[in-house]
Amino acid sequence: MKIKRRDFLGTVAAGSAIVTMPGFLSGCGVQTATAIASATPENPFMDWFGVDQAVVARVMSELTSRGADTADLYFQHTRNNSLTLEDGIVSSANSGIQQGVGLRVVIGDQTGYAFTEDLTMQSMLAAARTASAIASGSQITSPQSFNPLESGNLYTTTVPWADVGVDQKLPVMKFIEQHAKSKDTAIEKVAVYWSDGDERVMIATLDGKLVTDHRPMARVTVVVTAKKGEETQTGYSNIAAREEFSWFSEERLSKMVGEAVDRTMIQFEAKRPPAGEMPVILAAGASGILLHEAIGHGMEADFNRKGTSIYSDMIGKKVAEPFVTVVDQADIPRERGALNYDDEGNKAGRTVMVENGILKSYLHDQISAKQYDLKPTGSGRRQSYQYAPMPRMSCTFMEDGPHTKDEIIAAVDHGIICETYTNGQVQIGAGDYTFYVKNGWLVEGGKITAPIKDVNIIGNGPESLKRITMVANDARLDTGGWTCGKNGQSVPVSQGIPTVLVSNMTVGGENVS
Amino acid sequence: MSVDLTNQALQAVELAKAAGADEVAASISQNRDVTFEYRDGALEKVKDTTSQGLAIQVFAADRYSSHQTTDLNVERLKGFVAEAVAITNALEPDEFREITPEELFKDRPDVDLDLVDPAVADISRDQRLAWCEAIDTVARDHDKVISATAGVYDGSSLSASVSSNGFSGTQHSTYCWYGSSITMMDRGDKRAEDSFYVGGQHIASLPEAPSVAGTALKRVLSRLDSEKGPTVKATMVVDSRIAGSLIGRLLRPANARRVQQGQSYWAELLGEKAFSDKLTIIDDPLIKRGFSSRHFDNEGISAKVLPIVEEGVVKNLYVDTYYGRKAGMVPTTGSASNRRIGTGEKSLAQILSDVGDGVYVTSWLGGNADNTTGDFSLGIRGHMIENGQIGRPVGEMNVTGNLRDLFSRLEMVGNDVYPYSSTLAPSLVFTDVDFSGA
Repeated sequence: MKIKRRDFLGTVAAGSAIVTMPGFLSGCGVQTATAIASATPENPFMDWFGVDQAVVARVMSELTSRGADTADLYFQHTRNNSLTLEDGIVSSANSGIQQGVGLRVVIGDQTGYAFTEDLTMQSMLAAARTASAIASGSQITSPQSFNPLESGNLYTTTVPWADVGVDQKLPVMKFIEQHAKSKDTAIEKVAVYWSDGDERVMIATLDGKLVTDHRPMARVTVVVTAKKGEETQTGYSNIAAREEFSWFSEERLSKMVGEAVDRTMIQFEAKRPPAGEMPVILAAGASGILLHEAIGHGMEADFNRKGTSIYSDMIGKKVAEPFVTVVDQADIPRERGALNYDDEGNKAGRTVMVENGILKSYLHDQISAKQYDLKPTGSGRRQSYQYAPMPRMSCTFMEDGPHTKDEIIAAVDHGIICETYTNGQVQIGAGDYTFYVKNGWLVEGGKITAPIKDVNIIGNGPESLKRITMVANDARLDTGGWTCGKNGQSVPVSQGIPTVLVSNMTVGGENVS
Repeated sequence: MSVDLTNQALQAVELAKAAGADEVAASISQNRDVTFEYRDGALEKVKDTTSQGLAIQVFAADRYSSHQTTDLNVERLKGFVAEAVAITNALEPDEFREITPEELFKDRPDVDLDLVDPAVADISRDQRLAWCEAIDTVARDHDKVISATAGVYDGSSLSASVSSNGFSGTQHSTYCWYGSSITMMDRGDKRAEDSFYVGGQHIASLPEAPSVAGTALKRVLSRLDSEKGPTVKATMVVDSRIAGSLIGRLLRPANARRVQQGQSYWAELLGEKAFSDKLTIIDDPLIKRGFSSRHFDNEGISAKVLPIVEEGVVKNLYVDTYYGRKAGMVPTTGSASNRRIGTGEKSLAQILSDVGDGVYVTSWLGGNADNTTGDFSLGIRGHMIENGQIGRPVGEMNVTGNLRDLFSRLEMVGNDVYPYSSTLAPSLVFTDVDFSGA
């Protein structure tokens, strides 16, 4: 399980890594939908994909021809656009269209999966037969039509990205570049990377639901390279959200630019901290990466139903001080990790993983929810129609605690405070996790003293939770463009935290004697 | 099949030209991928897919853009290509944008790379199940095993690429991988976990499935009772299986793009003795059955053997056509193929014996490096080296330093090249490495 800040800084090595992994049900609500369909005009999403109720019903019937506990059709169309500004000009653009339908059959914890990018009846039926091969029973009753659920309103837009031309984005990118360059004469190069997209999904389920969702996303990154004497330093900042063009206000962009420049220039003074164990303060915001790695992944129920997570036997147990509450919440308007419905068509909402120090709930998809005899938490997500869903995080954060940031800093005699991060990773079974600190500060005698940079921090999930000795009242979500990778699938996520003190972690450093 | 793909790619080129492009490169790809996963005695997941895609690069009036789509419907493709050209025209002119010139793609090598095993297309469901069952039996043969997954992954990829200035080429390869991921109960709530997978283009080249599972099981058993290692300056032996990813980190900024953008500590190193003379890195696209073997790269540039580092001296960087022109460097290739890493005479056991004391690193956990400065810090797990032998398992440690500095202290290289990677690397030995732990 890895999380990465950006694709283009940390280019993936051209290895041949593999490893992939993987769905509930309900009785078949056949009778309900038939009457509705004939009275309702066709869904605009149906038109988009060039299908109708009858076609979807026919494919679902084929998909469940050998039996199924649950089954779904996941229609998706994604259009992404990106622009690159380097050396003063916007000289490169990229656009991508991904369209297809993923077909899934689940029997117990067995999954059959296929997809097709050719949305003709013939191709969809062929893919349905392929996916159905996992099962060996007989045809079950499947819905004749599907009941459209109310669409969500977490990230409604007035102007879709498809209607925003290159000519509108160019001046914004130029503004970012020029603003950055004006900040410091040592800045030699500024690069700006823009990406936006519209995603449309339509999910038809065996229990007769039809879920549709239009998911916008935008992200802008600025990379600054500065030179002082012989020394060169690079830093960056980015902002991302399920937003539209008007979100990129001058004020918001200026703040991002200021962060990038500050992060770059401070590196000329920054040193490596001493190596070894010490108290670590996590600054409010992006430090939510701690939660993502130390507990979030380990709470995804696929690992727990298999018994492979260190948290497999801990539900109901005390894992942290009573002032620690950790939540995964998808229904936060416009956040990068926000979702109206998950990718199995379940309403996405709020799951309290740790409440007042007690481990409360895993993150469930349909397969795990059935196994635990619980309702799914709406955590079934997938990268695209090319993949089967599995339990994933959305916006992961810690609630406010009883302390203040100043109290926390004053409590540390010799340690560090971490501010910005590039990536993290976790081992689910052992619970060991890491995150890479790009910028931070030494804390000596209860005061912030000198800047530090480029250190990896490693800890153990349950041990770190126990060692959260102070939690401040300044919780906030980070607006950076975080992407979470698991078993070969990437999904957008958000994370946040108040200022927190972990009494002991292992900090990478130099000058070991 | 490849003729059809070539014709489809040519049609896309024609569409773009008709829409106003000056020059166009297009490629069509088709992939078949089959996944069988078996867990704890039962089939858990079967995925069988065929995907397709068009990628197109448009050059118009000194402007450039690239586009991809999975929607190959002929009518909609027209609109897609026309929009691609319109987007290109909306950009700013850039004198360095130019389609790959003929002199870089003529004289393409035609050696047989042996990347296709016809038997892969005929792998039966029963065969995949038999492999899964064989792996599962061995992988679960220990009372501490909580869960073991056996996976078989096979398929093929076929692509055809053409350009408006005369390039035409096809690539076809097959693959088959299998192996196991195993989780065992350890102390307290902790689980030990590890995996081992092998793969290749040819089924016959793979070790027997049970032996692969045996290796995975041995790997997990070696992790039991792992403890936090010490904070220490010590010799580091990097296992050949993970040496490739460290080499990959070293090479991440060794390209014209990073150099031209001022984000590479390699910028001043060309022609210099920058690393230990034990370090040799050759980019070799022409290895028979190599994981990243090819006759031409993603820009169409003819494949050739490219020394990057020879005995510590930097010979070449990865240079694509665009950033090459911008930085005044002759194009080599902008994308890595296989990498052959220089080897030594000794086995891992002999190396460990010579080293005596230190840390034997067997996996990385997170961490990163700054491409501009080379500063790095990585999470690790492995074993202490005690009296020249593999000792107690350790984890929850970081190794921290500077990549250029680290590779100047490469003291020994093994003879134990790890075969299941496009980076063919032996075990590596570095002196005076900073570890942080307890």
